[in-house]
Amino acid sequence: MTRTISPKLVAYVCLAGVGFVAALALRLEELVVLAAPFALLPAVSLLLARTPRIDVTVHPERERALEGEELDAQVALNAEQGTARLEVLLELPRGIGVASGDNPAAISIGDDDRRELKLRLHCERWGGYQVGRVFLRARDHFGFVGWEWEVDRRAPLKVYPREELVRDLLRPLETQVFSGNHVARQRGEGIEFADLRLFVPGDRVRYVNWRASARRGELWVNQQHAERNADVLLFMDTFTEASRDGRSTLDLALRAAASLTARYLQQKDRVGFVTFGGMLNWLLPATGVVQLYRLVDALIDTQIVLNYAWRDIDVLPRRTLPPKAMVIALTPLLDDRAVGALLDLRARGFDLVVVEISPQPFMPPPSGQISTVARRLWELRRDALRGRFQEAGVPLALWNDERGLAEGLEEVTTFRRRARVVAG
Amino acid sequence: MYPAVAGDRLVPLVVGVGIAAWLLLALGLIRWPPLLGWGLAAFGAEYAIFLRLRGGSVDSRVPAVAAVLLVVAELAFLSAGGGLEGADRALLARVVGALAAAVAAVALLADLLLVASGSANGSLSVEAGGVLAAVLAVAFVIRVASRSRESTST
Repeated sequence: MTRTISPKLVAYVCLAGVGFVAALALRLEELVVLAAPFALLPAVSLLLARTPRIDVTVHPERERALEGEELDAQVALNAEQGTARLEVLLELPRGIGVASGDNPAAISIGDDDRRELKLRLHCERWGGYQVGRVFLRARDHFGFVGWEWEVDRRAPLKVYPREELVRDLLRPLETQVFSGNHVARQRGEGIEFADLRLFVPGDRVRYVNWRASARRGELWVNQQHAERNADVLLFMDTFTEASRDGRSTLDLALRAAASLTARYLQQKDRVGFVTFGGMLNWLLPATGVVQLYRLVDALIDTQIVLNYAWRDIDVLPRRTLPPKAMVIALTPLLDDRAVGALLDLRARGFDLVVVEISPQPFMPPPSGQISTVARRLWELRRDALRGRFQEAGVPLALWNDERGLAEGLEEVTTFRRRARVVAG
Repeated sequence: MYPAVAGDRLVPLVVGVGIAAWLLLALGLIRWPPLLGWGLAAFGAEYAIFLRLRGGSVDSRVPAVAAVLLVVAELAFLSAGGGLEGADRALLARVVGALAAAVAAVALLADLLLVASGSANGSLSVEAGGVLAAVLAVAFVIRVASRSRESTST
């Protein structure tokens, strides 16, 4: 606790001093009357001033919320020794705002008194936050002396991103060995018809295709495509972001990642993620509800970390990538290191899909001729970059304000269908 | 305002000092809070010039002048310190109550000082106020003494 003397005290004492000296010099007793309050008020106030003893607790309504939701927070103050004026400021991180209530609030609290301040918080942006640090400033009756201190009662508050509408998920080219919802290329137990073959001892009678057997005079059995799960790896490019008016490409990437994670996990797929940027962070694929929470908790800690030391890194460590995984990259394609890493993944044979989160809506419109030409050149370079991905056989979906994520994913499916026809 | 209206000698000088005081106070409120003290001092100077030019007996309105000057000072420093933004009703009531008590105390104190200095000109109301102020001052000293005794015992 820090005890401070306010500038008002200095001003009052100076005024009193000047007043008394002037009264003596000018022989005016009225000036004594005029100056006396400026001497007596600080003296009385300092005599009555006592160091406050106040205990503070902070109770957020809950630990988890969705982006855009509101929740209550309560700051409870228990005063063993009160104060005439107490200013209370609950520190709120960027991304959490006040919907209603006063922050800072100024109250008066007496001895053995209890006060509760209610704030309605608005979760403006996803993220992992710590809420509960309170700054307090107490003052005496006339504000001559102040006491400042802070109380740290921080508790975690996780704000999850809003879900993005996704109609159909991307189907991976390769599946894994565990059962799931994807029709695999391999034959095995399943529903989708794959082929016919001659009966061999050990085949179950239920698989005999009686129509084909009657036509050919020997026993033929149906074969099905196996239904398998897939490994999906979400690649988050966190080298850089474009942002404007509190929104950024990272927000969109995270929203998409959270939506895709939930949908793929519903399909019994194994989902993992890797953030590739100033820091490399990854979570190996797994399935189930626990993995959903684990992933979303890890995702909301994602942030842009500038790192100039990693100038040459363009390769993801092998450990972070399970074989035959479908990699969905969410990137604004603004950093060459991320582009290099993605092309390297494709060269290593991974089933790669790039969802380009367009930075254009976050850029100011060009002003002037040179700026317009520069913007045009920049767009041409981005077109060339997209061409490099398509030449490498990587489907690229563009996602911006005008096109939803579902539309972008549909474009990828179409690309794959066309690519297959051309290859055939 | 009062010295400018009540004075009859060198009025432009008094008015000039008064305007300077208002300007300093306004600047202090708007931009530079350290000027608040200078503004209040200028008000005092204006009153001092008025008194010096006026001569004669003690100004009987000095308790009112002292009270108004204190109110101006308190409100100015309150405003410069951020006002009462976010304050609840209890605090508002407390601040207003404290200010009212301070103003009343100043008026009584001024009476007491006038009576003590023998400048009250025999006015009954002023003398009664002075006696009341003396009683209240003694009561206050007793209260402060008992309070400091409590705090040392704990």
